[in-house]
Amino acid sequence: MRRAAGIVAALSLALAFAAAPAGAVTQRTSLVTIEQQVMCVTCGIPLVEADSVAAQREKAFIQRLVDRGDSAGEIRAQLVAQYGVAVLALPPDHGFNVVFYVAPVAAVLLALAVVALLLPRWRRNRRASPGAGGAALSAADSARLDADLARFDD
Amino acid sequence: MRRKLGPGIVIVAAAAVIAVLVYGLTQQGASRALDEALAAGRHPAAPQTTRLLPALDRAGGAQASLAHWRGKVVVLNFWASWCSTCTAESALIEHAERQLAASGDGTVVGIDYKDLSGDAQQFVASHSLSYPNLRDIDGSFAAAYGTDALPETFVLNRRLQVVAISRGEITQQSWLTHWIDAAARA
Repeated sequence: MRRAAGIVAALSLALAFAAAPAGAVTQRTSLVTIEQQVMCVTCGIPLVEADSVAAQREKAFIQRLVDRGDSAGEIRAQLVAQYGVAVLALPPDHGFNVVFYVAPVAAVLLALAVVALLLPRWRRNRRASPGAGGAALSAADSARLDADLARFDD
Repeated sequence: MRRKLGPGIVIVAAAAVIAVLVYGLTQQGASRALDEALAAGRHPAAPQTTRLLPALDRAGGAQASLAHWRGKVVVLNFWASWCSTCTAESALIEHAERQLAASGDGTVVGIDYKDLSGDAQQFVASHSLSYPNLRDIDGSFAAAYGTDALPETFVLNRRLQVVAISRGEITQQSWLTHWIDAAARA
């Protein structure tokens, strides 16, 4: 009895391992999913928003590949072979294209570094500034101000 | 000095952003350098004549560049299967090819632009086009000619200099005949 239970458990485990990768492979993509990831190459807008003749041809091509069971990656690769990398809404993340991903992050970090570096200095300078409460009036201006105020008092 | 550093950095950064925007905007439009040179009475060299482009039928992974036809008159026709006016002018272009082949003066070279290869091959078959066709997969070859709308045609002389440009559909066979003759003599 124990032996039978052990065999059943082993078989269940084996089936579970066999089923896991199969489930991952059979994940299918759809026309809409791909449309959101690529461009209409003749109109320069995302394919999902395009309706030109060329866009319709591009959509029909994608639909054929989806129906054939190609994965999203395979479909993108075939679109690049047909239209070049410009068809991708986001450029591939290797080679010089890495700049497109790194540059915005680097710019933000640089801006934060500049602010972190300069902000304390500006604060210190402001505190140390002798005329922080406003510039002192000259004797002539002071006399004129007194005269004006006296006129208002009257 | 330090007080001026902060605003200075901001001004430099703003100027850099504006410069990038201006550069981006100026790069948007198609170049008309070839048209301007022709209008000035010059025959500018055709761009990218040594660049290898894949043949449409891709037999054996074949590639070719315009330099392959140096010494002949070349009618360079940019087209795509999704372009309705390309369909309309295809008979005139094929007629020009037959004239050039008969005289031995040159050839038409079709450049299929931003198109699916299967659709393009079907276009060639259904319109019985007998001239060689190359693929400009990402449109960068066409961009060198200032082409951003189809169809467009360039007549090149034997030295691969541009003699005439048609930006738009060719509707008169006489236009092609005239400029092919001029290119053969140039």
